[in-house]
Amino acid sequence: MNKKTAVVLSAVMGASVVLGACSKNNNEGASPSPSASATTSASAGASASAAPTTITPQTFTFLDYSNPSWPYDANWKIWSYIKEKTGVTLDIQLPAGNLLEDAISLAIAGGDMPDIMWTQEKRLADKFGQQGALVNILDYVDDMPNFKAWMEKYPAETQNMLSSDGKMYEFPNQGLGESNRRTWMYREDVFKKLNLSTPKTWDELYETLKKLKAEYPDSYPLTVRNGLRYFEDFAAGFGVSAPVDAQRVSAYLDGTSGEWKYAPIQPAYKDMLVYFNKFYKDGLIPKDFLTIDTKMWQDIVSTNRAFVTLDYIGRIDFYNSALRKDNPDFSMNFMAPPAGPTGLQKNAFTAVTEEGFMISSKSKKIKDIVKFIDFFYSEEGHKLVSWGKEGDTVSGDSFIEKYTDISDLRKKTGLSTDGTYTWFDFNAHISVSSPELKSAYEQAPQYDNAKTSTPPFTPEEQQVLSTKGDSLNSHRDENFAKFIMGTRSFDTWDKFVEEQKKLGYEEILEIYKKADERAKAAVK
Amino acid sequence: MALFRLKFNRSKYLLLLFLPALIYYILFKYVPMFGILISFKDYNPFKGIWQSDWVGLKYYSMFFHSPDFPKLLKNTVLLGVYKVVFGFPAPIILALLLNEVRKGVVKRLVQSISYLPHFISNVVVVSMMFLFLSPTSGLVNHLIEWMGYSSVNFMQNENYFRTLYILSEIWQHIGWETIIYLAALSAIDPQLYEAATVDGASRWHQLRHITVPGIMPAIVILFILNIGHVLDIGFEKVLLMLNPSIYSTADVLSTYVFRTGIQAMNYSYGTAIDLFTSVVNLLFILTANWISRKTSETSLW
Repeated sequence: MNKKTAVVLSAVMGASVVLGACSKNNNEGASPSPSASATTSASAGASASAAPTTITPQTFTFLDYSNPSWPYDANWKIWSYIKEKTGVTLDIQLPAGNLLEDAISLAIAGGDMPDIMWTQEKRLADKFGQQGALVNILDYVDDMPNFKAWMEKYPAETQNMLSSDGKMYEFPNQGLGESNRRTWMYREDVFKKLNLSTPKTWDELYETLKKLKAEYPDSYPLTVRNGLRYFEDFAAGFGVSAPVDAQRVSAYLDGTSGEWKYAPIQPAYKDMLVYFNKFYKDGLIPKDFLTIDTKMWQDIVSTNRAFVTLDYIGRIDFYNSALRKDNPDFSMNFMAPPAGPTGLQKNAFTAVTEEGFMISSKSKKIKDIVKFIDFFYSEEGHKLVSWGKEGDTVSGDSFIEKYTDISDLRKKTGLSTDGTYTWFDFNAHISVSSPELKSAYEQAPQYDNAKTSTPPFTPEEQQVLSTKGDSLNSHRDENFAKFIMGTRSFDTWDKFVEEQKKLGYEEILEIYKKADERAKAAVK
Repeated sequence: MALFRLKFNRSKYLLLLFLPALIYYILFKYVPMFGILISFKDYNPFKGIWQSDWVGLKYYSMFFHSPDFPKLLKNTVLLGVYKVVFGFPAPIILALLLNEVRKGVVKRLVQSISYLPHFISNVVVVSMMFLFLSPTSGLVNHLIEWMGYSSVNFMQNENYFRTLYILSEIWQHIGWETIIYLAALSAIDPQLYEAATVDGASRWHQLRHITVPGIMPAIVILFILNIGHVLDIGFEKVLLMLNPSIYSTADVLSTYVFRTGIQAMNYSYGTAIDLFTSVVNLLFILTANWISRKTSETSLW
């Protein structure tokens, strides 16, 4: 983040607090019961100094997500910690079939919303918030001294949570985004054996992969999963990093011009596809790269058929701890991103998460709920949800029990599981990582691309993005695949650009620009 | 009136038996139909169906003007037609062949083996296809390479999608669908065959003049019912097989509705496309029924 934006953003926060206060007046629908406001106004006065975060013991209904890797457990220690500190018991409902989005839509449509809901996507909060189903958090900032201080500390995170109407329907999140970080990785032991060094540029990458292929003819030295999704990461080295998935349009904020641009039509993007076309022709990536799923990817990596990959950083431990049992030399390690033609050595910025709490506008306990959630933004709450209780799970800055990995920690304690955090100390996760992963966490951030976030859209804009955008996206994906597989010649690149234009990328960029300007204007 | 009461009294227990089915259909089939209203409205789940604003045919025209519309319609219709053309006769042929098998053991064995795939879920079937057909590790491609040809990227080639889809559909359902024809076959009077044999009819003649006409009503009814689902291409399986390189032939109405209607939460838009699909299906079924009524005695109504 450059200095100028930092200044703008920090100016932002005070402003949005005022903004929140203004919009309070036209939101009578959400006025809490008189008894609740009476109890809270007393403590609000005292909140300037160390605020008493305890509220009257009570129960809130909470629609939470249960991650299949660490399924919800009512006996997790975290629930009793939270209860101890805030007096709140959470009556947790889990979405049927684990479909959180559907469960939320259903609860809202049915009018029988739980007090609190957990979301994994901000667009959901924006959509239902603008329809009136969710509380505008900014209306209650005065009841949340810790949150207020937090917003000043993390203006970017706060701003990212604003909706297109300048309100906030989901509580912002900081710290755990690190676990979503993606990076290049390589098989250190194999590279050492063949006397190869990690490639510094994409040309070197090509040569290195070819050497690996020559040594292991049955291998696909570079293998990733999930189709074209990681092209967002690959493109960072070419300066055109933008999302490539079915739901999102490949727009990005260009660092040098400060303008929104459309990635797939940039010459740099073509350069990258040319590399992949070479990779495909020479068998350096799997022929069925578009349909490699997680299982197949794991098979290929664990049977010495892939030596360079790109995935979540935590996969370093995932592979090392599983495969060293049979092959003590096995060593997956962090690799710096190779530089593209212009010398950029970058990874896409992926250390973000959109998960967070939302409050039902129909709840009768809004004032108490915001006080409850405010606890999560206090230093005490920060430590509690990251490390647990002193003497019970944590002693000083390390866990008492030895956990084999992060999911072991999650399964045993419930710490850092869905619905238990908003502000997280990532050192807690680092402390249970292997030395390789620890060093990866230290090295990775220096290759980070500038942090950009999608501007918030109005419901009408979202509709255009999802319908027109879908035609644009499927045409994009289809042709990326064809260029890579060589079924479409790069001679027709100009025609491809023309086709994308016809499908309306300009109109969509216009929406991005407008939304971005609106968001900036709202916080000025 | 008296007659009605008499009839009612006589069949009241039957009606009582029918009641649960009636309630089921009203609750779960007819009531949800009001949901199609949202295709004419700007549906807002918080406001509910009634309070949302009317927008007329906005979502229909949005769909018809979408650049994907011709492609989606073509893919869906082609896949549906292929399924009828190739998938529909397959179980009939198998049933006729089985009928000619004189050894009971063989017949039962073939039948059991052919209907087992029906119980395998689509997820598993598609995974099997990916595994067997994979150019990196698939059995089929190993075989092709062993024979000296270069491997084929089956699942990532738009030209193979329809063939693979239809073939796997036939493999999955042929045995199961045969059961109904075998039942129809067993209803044919054996005396007809005896009489034919006396008259000197060969096996082929018997097949042409007794067996096929004997199961014709069943064929026609099933055909009309099948026609009504031309556009209802199995969503799950196509979605599982779908990947960017085969979008141009594999993206169908139902997968499009899933992406833009459900995943992107444009409920009104998705419902509009769904209703359009149902109307086209209804037209197909009416046409098929009309033709059948004109040309033969068999029809649904």
